[in-house]
Amino acid sequence: MAETTPRPRRRPYVRVVMIAAALFTAWHILASFLWIAPYSASAREIVGQERLSSYMIPMLGQSWSVFAPEPINGDYRFEVRAVVNGEETEWVSASDVELSMIRYHLFTPRAGIVGMDVSSQYKGAWGKLTEDQQGVVGLNYFKEDWEERMETALDAYGADNVSAYMDQERRATAYATQVAIAIWGDDVERVQYQAIRQNVIPYNQRHDPDAERPGIQYSPSGWRGLIEVDGQSQDAFTKVFRAQYERMTN
Amino acid sequence: MAGLAKRAKRAIGSLIKLLLHTVGDLIAKTWFWTESWLLDTKKSLYGLAVTRILIGLTGVGLLLTNFSTRLYTFGSGSAWNGELAEPVSDFPKIWLFSWFHMVAGNDALFTVLYLVLLALAIAITVGWRFKIVLPFYFVLWISFIEMNDAVGDQGDNMYRIVLLLMLFADPASRWSFDAARRAKKNFPTILPREISNLLHNLALVALTAQVIFVYASGGLFKAGGEPWQNGSAVYTPLMTERFGTWPILSEFFTNWGPAVAAISWGSILLQVAFPLALLTRPTRIIALIGIMSFHIGIGVLMGLPWFSLAMIGIDFIFIRDRTWMKATDIVLDAFRDDTEKSRAPGSGSTKSEKSEEASLPAGYAK
Repeated sequence: MAETTPRPRRRPYVRVVMIAAALFTAWHILASFLWIAPYSASAREIVGQERLSSYMIPMLGQSWSVFAPEPINGDYRFEVRAVVNGEETEWVSASDVELSMIRYHLFTPRAGIVGMDVSSQYKGAWGKLTEDQQGVVGLNYFKEDWEERMETALDAYGADNVSAYMDQERRATAYATQVAIAIWGDDVERVQYQAIRQNVIPYNQRHDPDAERPGIQYSPSGWRGLIEVDGQSQDAFTKVFRAQYERMTN
Repeated sequence: MAGLAKRAKRAIGSLIKLLLHTVGDLIAKTWFWTESWLLDTKKSLYGLAVTRILIGLTGVGLLLTNFSTRLYTFGSGSAWNGELAEPVSDFPKIWLFSWFHMVAGNDALFTVLYLVLLALAIAITVGWRFKIVLPFYFVLWISFIEMNDAVGDQGDNMYRIVLLLMLFADPASRWSFDAARRAKKNFPTILPREISNLLHNLALVALTAQVIFVYASGGLFKAGGEPWQNGSAVYTPLMTERFGTWPILSEFFTNWGPAVAAISWGSILLQVAFPLALLTRPTRIIALIGIMSFHIGIGVLMGLPWFSLAMIGIDFIFIRDRTWMKATDIVLDAFRDDTEKSRAPGSGSTKSEKSEEASLPAGYAK
């Protein structure tokens, strides 16, 4: 602080605006601090949880527990096969097809992680089902109104998490449908997919030439009827996916 | 005896008076200093200009990178994910931010809007009519990036918040098309100059708070985790397909244990220490070099180039205008040909720094 701080005369309105703006900034900073910092119920009491949320969400929404407390340690893959003209195809890894868009690329399009995200969200919802419900998921559902029938069957073992699961079931099936049609064309009759998770080789084994990656975690699901969502452009999907698929297989 | 008591009373009275006077003086000085800091000049004009340029380039880069897959990820090719029917993000549900959502069914319109957004991002980068362009860019960008919530990351949130704060600041008053134009008219402001300065400086304060909170809390969140404590944390993500997009480099960087520990612990230390490290120049230099290397690492090794570029852009506000001017001077000096130099003896960095200072209009300090 300089010894000779100038003390100019200010117009009163400037001071009023200054004080108001400074107070608002102080509030903004306090709210941001409470929101960004690791959650503390007692600290948030100062302003109240509801007031804080309504100020921060949606415009200032954020969460910085990225890679914490434990960073991600495995891959999510999404594999699809189909029945085409009465015959089963081989499994194709949709996530691998997309991965080719980001691996060894400096500029990575978000298209490269779509299938991984489907797999991760699906697997999360599947993991919350009971063993009996997971058994239902493993059955085939592809005839008319299969989604309703499946939901009813799942509900029979308790309704918790079922609706969240059905959302993911629908999302994964709709994605698998797009993938299957992109690869095998319009004659696809039904699809089956597997959302897979596999951990990486543990850190302390990384120099061991015989080390193998831990076992694949499956979330087995049966055959499904196709789901084509309103507004979906098969063309826009196929153009991108098919090109990557051909690049990968040739 | 009575005289002694009287004198003691007087002495105490004087001391209290002195104390009050000192405290009062201190309060007054702080008040006037703060007032002058807020109202008289705009701070960190060069740093914020660099932030603007890199934030603009982040937008340009992200849009170009995703151009050929735009419909697949954000448009009609992505309807299967259900976000077109029922957005996951809050923003497409808000009228103002629903532009892309409204045209998602029409590939041609979607593409036109995408190209408009790209043009705006370029305008932000070069600082062309910034005050007018930024609000449109802000609205259209959010409307675009929130189309597919599932593949978004925290960088999207940071980017949005920085754009929001920039609305109140003056990031185009240096190194921009606007600057060239405005310099001719002595940098006119839309609002009264003092108010314009006030908003700029408060936005800068809020931006600083935002950044240091993000780093410090990022560090605290990590510090609680076992892999971060035992110094192996950066290994596993680099081994995954998603965050190890250069497997050969991932292997290279995680091969030697001490390096893995240094990077893992270093990340936490840097992030937690960042706010206090900013306070003095030597620690600030270490913190900025450290945190920028951290982001370059994330950008290249982990396949998150645009997130990283945006974060690097924001860190540049912490480099003082004096440093930027010195750097500019060195660069300009290198390009000045020798004949010119010999004709103007003594044209070193100090001189042109002074001359630039002299050419600054009133109310614009560095």
